[in-house]
Amino acid sequence: MANDIALSVDGLRKQFLLSHSGAASLKTALLWWRRRKLEHFVALDGVNLQVGRGECVALVGRNGAGKSTLLSLISRIYRPTSGSIAVNGRIAPLLELGAGFHPDLTGVENVVFNGIILGLTRKQVQARMADIVRFAELEHHIDSPVRTYSSGMLARLGFAVAVHVDADILIVDEVLAVGDFAFEQKCYARIEDFRRSGGTILFVSHNMESVRQIADRCVWLRGGKVEMEGAPESVITAYQGDRSEVDL
Amino acid sequence: MKAELKELWRFRELLFAMVERELRIRYKNSALGFFWSLLNPLITVLVMTVVFKYVMNNDTPNFSAYILAAYLPYLFFQLTLLDASQSVLVALPVVKKVYFPREILPLASVFSNFIHFLLAILVFFAYLLVVYLLDPRISPFSWTILLLPALLLINFALAAGLSLIVSALNTFYEDVKYIVSVLLYLLFFLSPIMYFSETVLYSGGLGGRNQLIYFLYHLNPVAMLCTAYRKVLVPPQPVQVGENFYPALPLDWGLLGITAAMSLAALIGGYAMFNRMKWRFVERP
Ligand SMILES: Nc1ncnc2c1ncn2[C@@H]1O[C@H](COP(=O)(O)OP(=O)(O)OP(=O)(O)O)[C@@H](O)[C@H]1O
Ligand SMILES: [Mg+2]
Repeated sequence: MANDIALSVDGLRKQFLLSHSGAASLKTALLWWRRRKLEHFVALDGVNLQVGRGECVALVGRNGAGKSTLLSLISRIYRPTSGSIAVNGRIAPLLELGAGFHPDLTGVENVVFNGIILGLTRKQVQARMADIVRFAELEHHIDSPVRTYSSGMLARLGFAVAVHVDADILIVDEVLAVGDFAFEQKCYARIEDFRRSGGTILFVSHNMESVRQIADRCVWLRGGKVEMEGAPESVITAYQGDRSEVDL
Repeated sequence: MKAELKELWRFRELLFAMVERELRIRYKNSALGFFWSLLNPLITVLVMTVVFKYVMNNDTPNFSAYILAAYLPYLFFQLTLLDASQSVLVALPVVKKVYFPREILPLASVFSNFIHFLLAILVFFAYLLVVYLLDPRISPFSWTILLLPALLLINFALAAGLSLIVSALNTFYEDVKYIVSVLLYLLFFLSPIMYFSETVLYSGGLGGRNQLIYFLYHLNPVAMLCTAYRKVLVPPQPVQVGENFYPALPLDWGLLGITAAMSLAALIGGYAMFNRMKWRFVERP
């Protein structure tokens, strides 16, 4: 892969098995065994996408268009049904609301753990601890168990860890509108810094204002296919003009 | 499998962090928490000893040490499987967001429980020492203790292999953990914890097929491990069956070999099975 490409997705297809049987248990599996029909749902259907190093690409599309599925495939959460994904560098997903925080552990303990999950070593997290805490502005609470935090405080801490892991590619799925207004501005400023230092960003948003504000390029997904891609303004105009029914 | 192991090694720091986190949560960040968590087995053993001595009139000296020597490994096995069966399911919100080798989740349950088990064995040694100081006729240790690391290794392999299987299955079928807990409960009675394994050989109620049944009984790796721990940790002692006393049997190397082979097979098979299923965890219905 060429060195100026951060991410290359080729003929990507993802198919899910649809479930009609409710709870996942041996009991239902046995009861439904004869009546089970295997129905497949194609969430992504031959997606091609290239993201250059240092580029900021926005994914837009209706609910169920496959945006989160695409991001998950890129982060290696799912395995593609077919097609390929090549990544140049380290990926960090922005976790929403501190997913992975344990309520009984303190802020510091959770930061260490989350940092390691995102690929840092323990030493690296400890070296960045002061920056992370300062960024989240949680100096007074960082030694209390996170169950005492408000949801906004949790989100701040989660975001602070994610932006301090120094990944090459940041993956953001609709998590920027979590803190209060001042913190949101801070997040955008931080993302701007990240880009200036050569980081690549792939993000999903339903907020066209933020797409206009930070994206270099916009990709519109529709029914698991790339409907259109190009300059944000023209793609947003086309996307907002789309009045067809969504078929979920 | 080689590639998977390499990937696991690359993420070893996460495994350590997860083990540390589980122990922290379990001990609530205090040394007292560790002793607190030993309270349950100690009370259980105390009750068992009292029942044996006074209700069933069995006066094997220092009987509680013999119970502990088998009960602690059983407890390790039980707690590990129950923890592991839930491990992937409770971590699903993270699993859906971040990539890391999924086997780290059940393995963290195995390692943290194993560390807990090792600490409990240390406490057990302290207990033996106290008993010895109170009554010097009961000797605390013998050379057989050198075999302990081998038993621990076999036990670890068995627990890890079955944990991988159970955690993968329970992610798709959430009632697997109930089945596992019932099986573990039965296993308690089918393992020589409240009685001696020699009892099986000398029991009068087996219609003369004692040899065969003794052999089949020890094909259960947990029963074999309990027997072996007892032989290794505490000195042999005549076994009372009914009115008669029988000499203790030596450790049966053939049977232990079978258990070791089964444990290794469980580990390799369990890891292979987990790896086949792990990519579908996030897509479960
Ligand atoms: N595990 C799964 N099993 C079955 N179907 C799934 C699974 N995950 C996603 N899907 C389906 O794939 C489609 C795409 O989902 P996805 O989450 O990618 O949508 P999205 O574009 O992120 O939508 P939104 O804007 O609502 O977040 C949906 O129709 C969804 O039902
Ligand atoms: Mg989504």
